[in-house]
This record gives sequence, C-alpha cells and structure tokens, in this order.
Amino acid sequence: MEKRTLFTNKGLGIALVVPQVLLIFTFFYWPAGQALYWAFTLERPWGGGNEWVGTSNFTQLLGDPVYWNSILTSLIFAFSATVLAMGVALTMALLVDRELRGFRVYRTVLVWPYAIAAPALGVAFRFILAPEAGFMAYLNHAFPGLWNPALNGAQAMIAIVIAYVWKYIGYNFIFFLAALQAIPKSLIEAAAMDGSGLLRRIRDIQLPLLTPTIFFLVVINLTDSFTDSFGIVDLMTAGGPNRATELMVYKIFFDGFKGLDYSGAAAQSIILMLLVIALTVFQFRFLERRVHYK
Amino acid sequence: MVERSPILNLISQLLLFLGLLSALLPFAIIAIAASHDLRTVNEVPMPLTPGPYFWDNIVEAWNRADLGPKIVNSIVFAAGVALGKVFIAALTAFSIVYFRYWGKMVVFWAIFITLMLPLEVRIVPTYAVAANVLSPYQALLDISGITWLVRQATGIEIALKWGLLNSYTGLILPLIATATGTFLYRQFFLTLPDELTEAARMDGAGAIRFFFDVLLPLSRTNMAALGTIMFVWAWNQYLWPLLVTTDAAHGTAVTQLKELIPQTNGTPDWHIAMAGTLIVMLPPLVVVIFMQRWFVRGLVAAEK
Amino acid sequence: MKLSLLGATGAAALLALLSANAFAGGKTKIDFWYGNSGDISKRVQEVCQHFNESQKDYEIVCTSQGTYAGAVQNTIAAYRAGQQPTIVQVFDVGTLDLMLSDAYYPASKLMADEGYKVDWNNYLPGIRGYYATSKGEMYSFPFNSSTALLYWNKDAFQKIGKTEAPKTWEEAAADMKALKDAGYACPLGFNISADESWQLLEQFSAVNDQPLATKDNGYGGLDAELVFNKTKFVQYVTDLKSWYDQGLAVLKSKESGEEMVPAFASGHCQMILTSVGDHGTIGRTAAPDMHWSVAMLPTYAGIERKSSLVGGASLWVLQGKSKDEYKAAAAFLNFIAQPEQALFWSTVTGYIPVTKTGYDFMVEKGFYKDPKYQGREIAIASLTASDKLSQTHGTRLGGFLQIRNEVANGWQAIFANKVSVQEGIDQMVERGNGILRRFEATYKGKQLP
Repeated sequence: MEKRTLFTNKGLGIALVVPQVLLIFTFFYWPAGQALYWAFTLERPWGGGNEWVGTSNFTQLLGDPVYWNSILTSLIFAFSATVLAMGVALTMALLVDRELRGFRVYRTVLVWPYAIAAPALGVAFRFILAPEAGFMAYLNHAFPGLWNPALNGAQAMIAIVIAYVWKYIGYNFIFFLAALQAIPKSLIEAAAMDGSGLLRRIRDIQLPLLTPTIFFLVVINLTDSFTDSFGIVDLMTAGGPNRATELMVYKIFFDGFKGLDYSGAAAQSIILMLLVIALTVFQFRFLERRVHYK
Repeated sequence: MVERSPILNLISQLLLFLGLLSALLPFAIIAIAASHDLRTVNEVPMPLTPGPYFWDNIVEAWNRADLGPKIVNSIVFAAGVALGKVFIAALTAFSIVYFRYWGKMVVFWAIFITLMLPLEVRIVPTYAVAANVLSPYQALLDISGITWLVRQATGIEIALKWGLLNSYTGLILPLIATATGTFLYRQFFLTLPDELTEAARMDGAGAIRFFFDVLLPLSRTNMAALGTIMFVWAWNQYLWPLLVTTDAAHGTAVTQLKELIPQTNGTPDWHIAMAGTLIVMLPPLVVVIFMQRWFVRGLVAAEK
Repeated sequence: MKLSLLGATGAAALLALLSANAFAGGKTKIDFWYGNSGDISKRVQEVCQHFNESQKDYEIVCTSQGTYAGAVQNTIAAYRAGQQPTIVQVFDVGTLDLMLSDAYYPASKLMADEGYKVDWNNYLPGIRGYYATSKGEMYSFPFNSSTALLYWNKDAFQKIGKTEAPKTWEEAAADMKALKDAGYACPLGFNISADESWQLLEQFSAVNDQPLATKDNGYGGLDAELVFNKTKFVQYVTDLKSWYDQGLAVLKSKESGEEMVPAFASGHCQMILTSVGDHGTIGRTAAPDMHWSVAMLPTYAGIERKSSLVGGASLWVLQGKSKDEYKAAAAFLNFIAQPEQALFWSTVTGYIPVTKTGYDFMVEKGFYKDPKYQGREIAIASLTASDKLSQTHGTRLGGFLQIRNEVANGWQAIFANKVSVQEGIDQMVERGNGILRRFEATYKGKQLP
C-alpha cells in the first residue's frame, strides 16, 4: 500500500522512525537475539557454559508427534478465538453504533472485559464453567456427565477459548467502535433515504469502510492468540487434560520459564515466530488486497 | 437512529443486553466472592447472594497489599506507557505512510515482529539490558574494536552504564515500542484522502506541521481507543514491573495483587484476593468511562 | 538515572557508590526473594520484620516473586546481570539446578565462615536426606517444609464402625467400599494434575520403599533412569483407576469446580491425600462440628513403612556479595533456625519444624496439645518413620517439573480410557527419560556434588 502523494524529505522520514527503532533494538532485538541463539546450543540456566549443538534442538522437536499435536492445537485455538472474538465484537459495535437508548452504557461496559486482571479472569471462569460448581452444574444435573473439561480435551479447549475470547471482545469492540465513528452519519442517512435496510447498509457502506480496521484486527488477533495466550492456559488447564490445550506458546512458557530448558524454549520460539510471520505475510499479501483504504 | 423499526430495535436491544450481561457476569462473581468470609467463599458452589464482609475484605486487601502508594505508581506507569505508545506509534506510522526511503518496509516488519516473542522467554537477556541499557552498545564497541583503539590511544577505558532498575524510566521506557499502535495508525492514515496532503503541500505547510495540525486532530478517536487499550494493557503488566522494581517504593498495584493470590497449601483466602482485584481494576474501568468523551463522529467524508 | 562515560577512577567511584547503598542508614541491607504468595507471603514478611526488629545491624528486604518458579527464574535473570539478591528461596525440585550452578555459597561453609556452630544432624532425617548432597553436606537451609498425610473424616468412619484410619491400601479399599455403601458419594477425593505427582507418585514411592529412578533416585549421578513403570506404583494406579471406575474414588480438581481440600472440608469427600500444610486451612474452613483427623499415608500390605518425603522449599545464599552482606545473611538464617521462630512459623502456617530442637521446643510449649494443631505431630512421625532412609529419600532428577507434567499427561490418558495403565505409565517413563537425557546433555562434564 502506498500513498500517491508523499513528502520528499527522506532525512526527516528516517529521523521519525529512529526513536522506535532504537527502542526495539535495545529492548527487543538485542536480548531476543541472545535468547534465540540458545536454540542452537544447550544453555545452562544459571550460566557457566553452553555447547553448540547445531540444529539438533529443532530436529528433536520436529521428530516428536507431541509437538505436532501442539502446533495443531495452537492453530485450532487461534482461528476459533479470532473468529469468535471479532464476530461478537463487530456485532456489538454495529449495534451500539445505532445509538439506541442507553448506548453510552453499552459503549463503556462492553470494553470492561479487557480491563480484568488475569488472576480474576481465571477464578471467575473456573466458577462459570466448572461442572460441579458453576452454571454448568445445572446443565450436568439435567444431563449427567455431559460437561467435563477435567477429562474431556475438546471441552477443555472450549473453556479456554471462551475465557480468552471474552477478554478480547472488549479489545476488538473499542477499535471497531472507533472506526465506525469515523463513518459520517450523512452517508448512512442518505442510504436509508434511498430505502436500503439495516443489513444492506452494513454490507454496502459500513463493512467496506471498516475493512482497514478488520484487517488490522485480524492480523493482531491471530498474532496475539498465538503468542499471548499462555496466561489463560496456565490459569485454567495447565495444558491438560492429556495435552489437549497445550498451545505452542504455553509449552514455550512452561519449558523455558518454569522448566528452565532455555534452549528448547528458544527453538520452539523460533518455530512459532516463523509460523506467525508466515501467516502475517500471507495476510498482507492476499487479504490486504481486499481492503478498501479509500 | 436512522429509521423507526420497533422490531429491529427490540432485537438490537435484546442482543446488546445479552452482551452486557455476559460482560458483567464475571465482575459480579468477583464482587460476590469479595463479600464472603473464608469459609463461605470456599463453599462449593459458592452462594450467589452477597455476604456481609465486603467492606472488611476491601480494607484488609488494601492494607495487606499496601495499595494506596502502589496505585499511584501504577497510574504514573500506565499513563506514561500509554502516552509514549500513542505518540511514538503516530510518529513511526507517519514516516512509514507519508515518506519514501529505502528500508521502510524492513522497519515496519521489524516493529511488527516484536509482537511475537513474549517477555517470559527472553527474560534473562532483557533483564541484563535493564540493568545497563547501554550494554548492547558497549558490546558493539567491544566487538568492533573501538574500545581497544580508544584505550590504546588515550588510556581511557570506555564503560557505558545506564541502569534502569528501580526507576520510573525503567518501568516505562522498555514498554513504549508498539507494533499494535504503529499498525493501527498506518491503517488509519492510509484511509485519509491524498487531497489532504496535496492541500497541505500547496499550502506550503511542512511535514511536521501537517502531522500536528492535520493528522493528529483527525486521529482523535483512534488515539482515544489506542490510549485506552494501552493504559489497560500497561496497568495489567506483571512480570516486567516485578523484575525492574525490587524496592517497594516503585512497586505497582498488579504486582502487589499477585502477592494476594493464595498459593497451594496456603490459606485459600480468595475473598481477600478478589477484594484486592476489585480495587486494582477500578482505575482502568474509570479510564474507560472517561475515554468516552473522545469518541466523536468523524468529520472527514471518506469517498466511496 | 546514571548516564556516564567512565574512566578507571569513575568505575571505582561507582563501586563505592554501590557499596554505600548497601549501608543505608548504617545498616547492612540485603535482599531476600521468595516464591510464596497469599497469606504465606504475609507470614514471610512478618518473619522478616521480626528479624529487623530483633537487632540493629542488618536490614533484610523481602520480596515475593509470585510463584516458586518465578522466584527461580527472576533470580537467574538478576544473577546473570550481577544484580542478584543475597538469599533466594528455591522449591524442593529446583535443588538440583542450584547444585549444578556455580551461583551459590554453600550453607555449611557460610555458617562456618561466619562463626556460627550449626549441628546439621539436628535437622530431621527425612528433611536432611532430601536436601543434602550425596556426601551428606547441606548446601541450603530447609525453610517452609511439609509432608503428605491422609486426612480422614471421623464422623463418616464412625458410621462404618471404625475409629481409626486405614493403614494399608487394602484396608482403605474396604473402607471406601463400606463408605460408599453407607451412602457417601466420595469416599476418596483425588486429582491427577502435575501437582499430585508429589503425593501419588513421589510420596507413595517413598513410604512404600519403591525407587523412582536408578542411581539412588539420581543422587548418584545425572545418568539416572526412571524405573517407576516396574514398581508397586503400577498396582497403585491400577487400583486408583478401578476405584475411580467403581465410584469409590472421585476426581476433585479446579477444572471440575471443587478441589480436594474444600471437598474434604465441606464433608463432600471422606478421605484425601494432601500436605500437612493444608491442616490449618481445613481447620478454618470445615464446619465446626465436623470431626476429622490425619494419619500417615497408607502402604501396601507386607511392605515395611519408610519415612515420607519433605516438600516445600529451602533458602540458598548466592555468590557475588560482600563480606558484610554474608554476615547479615548468616545472622538471618541463624535467626530463623531458632526454636521460637519454628513455633511462630508453625503456628501461623501449616508448615512443620525442620529441626529436632524446634520440634522438642514445640512439644514442650504444648503446641500439639492445642486442639487446633492436634495431629500435626503425625507429620513428624511420618518423616521419621524409619531409621534407614527409603530408596526414595528424595528426588534429584533434572527437569523434574517437566517430568511431573508427563506423569499428569499419562494419568489423564489413563483415566480418559485412552491407554491402558501399563501403557500410560510406560509412556510417562519413556518421555521422562527423554527429559533426563536432555538435562544430562546440558550439563555435560559437570559433576553432581
């Protein structure tokens, strides 16, 4: 994507990115580079030596069916979380944008989930989704054994998707709302005057004008659900039952942060990054073509 | 509201109300848990009628976690990070969208990739940088032989040191880089009509003036959304503040909150932990309320 | 904020500045990082405060790192940047990682250097056996310590005509059946997450004298191999599974909504296996008219009971600090080893005294006569059940958190009927051995003390 009209002062353009480039070099690339270098060694956590092992960390991972299972789990999680979080948020934002009675309250409260503190999120959803304690208890009372995320892997996955999505709806909602605000009311009123109904207006006017935001949110949601989801797994399922919720990033967190296997975690991080980069490049290549910037 | 359609409105209201309920439900559970005593909060199922201990628990959580000064720290920290991000992201996106130079896509992607590696995985080397921000540059000087040259020539040993531990700078600065923000502004700037730039250039307005006088005012709503999200995000950061602040004077509310969470084999005093959670969540919720006034209808008609 | 281009003299000045920091207000200040949270964290802070008030020369600043793993990870980060605390709390299974690092100042050496006479034999044998090196030397100070016990509901057992807890698993199985017949829905509450590896695998193996791994459970070298797919553990899991299938044993986890401790406290489950650390919690959350007690973990019939294992964490002193800071550290560690502190600590938490003198002092003060704490002496009895240590006096196996995870995965596959018991346990051992080999390769050439 390129603007037709540009400023010609190259030096100024470069100067404007220098602050952020300095920050990411110092606080991300320099340290991350060291951490990723460990992927080719066996690093001792307390320091005091590491041995170059070439790509053996990678071959060990990729030769392990359990790891492929974790990749699959991550893909399922990321896609379902992204679709759900964006779908619900978009619906809510479109409804709030109609400015019906009480829309200011909705506008505020629907953002709140993003503000919940992580430990509270785990506790609340454990209560809501637990088969013996929460609302699911009533369901299980009617159909005994129907809901049991403690041993049923698919249900455990549903549970973490719900908790994660609940929080990200607030995030997506606020950006959708901001984008909808930018669409002048006159445009919608004119269309209504021409006799097009609500769904028609959404499809013909609002959605096309929202595509830059939708694209932004798809990319960010997918990336975050791959890389920012270990907290919820740690709180709710610890990867179980029997690895059903062992997302790639949770395994990285567990092996590296808890288990002190720095080299294994680094190798897994590189694989995860490559996967997410590939997905992102794909989106910029193919999805962005359908974005209407003007 | 564009047209009158009672049925449509009813359905809309119904859906919105459902959304409202599901958004509030976890908060309600937390508040109810915060109103019980130790025995009741641990009952299964926990009673859904509030108990009488709400205020006691709030006071206990407040005192135990010393939340007063910690909330002040958190406000400084989260506001600093949010403002920094909103501003630096605008600068970067402005450069990437409105200028042409070699390597600008490299910069964009380089910023984007920072989303992909959680701090938990790079904690050890990142801490080393926080202890001495200039250590990467020192290492570059050492590797390139400049340190050696200077020592040979002048006898002076170059030792760059700028420690960030236990300071607001250390809390805020490393978190200011933002891929999300940069990307968001890029998307927004790309939707702005080229005529704006042309008019500005014809006007003789320089790029900087165009940025401040045209772009930033137009981005108001986006800035509000981004600022809100980033404030909340920074507010809920745990690991970085914990590592950077070892002296209690710089601690943040969320690190204190984590300390309230019961551990295995400890007393499961979730009523206190949930009361603490409520207190700690309050400032971000208030920020969300205040952000509302920035949500105003856009003025630029985007052509279709 | 210091931005400086320093010459040689500048560096010296900086060093002076740094050490000046350590003497704030004429006191030597040291940092202590720990992993406890919740009310235990509050208690640790109280211990620190007592120490600071007890003398004028030193000040200890205690910081919770949220979790045990967080305490270790953050300390490593700080250590590698030269900013480490003087004392750090390391959980039981992290002991090996510390021993293989060059980061610590051995406890025995520190106390000798600082002129304290410590009788290391005063530590309870089960605790000493766990933390000491293969040569019997103590490198860290046992701090918060516990062991696993059987909690049983006296009211329910009375209904089936029993006044004592089962001593063997055979007896326990009969009791469960009787309890079930008497209308109790959950005779035994248990769970199969990684946490329960502690009571169901490690403690079980210790009291039943079964090995977890070759080479003296890893104390003899990093090339140890897991063997618990060939021990009594297989029968134990088989039994648990069959009890579970018959509804005699019920899974109680956070995923199911009720964990086993609240399930016992509320009277929903009649027996659980958990840490003595939960004794206080159950006392405070159970209905006041519920009668319950604790007993040693059952063994299988015909096996001579051995001591159970200690769990919890120990305190390590780190390298790279000044003489004065080590003086302060030694003073603090000496302070918490006093019998009065043991009494305070056990009163406000569920943890046990770690030394014989501490225990004797508490007996003498009548601690165990207080109905609130009655039964906690069984933890001491369990830790000292045999003179000869079991084959499993501890676990010194690398990557043990990951191994526990494999144990949990195996169990979950078994209990969801995806694999047979033997297949599941073979899988745990096979994957666990992979973790051990990886750990061994990481520390190639390093000798285990």
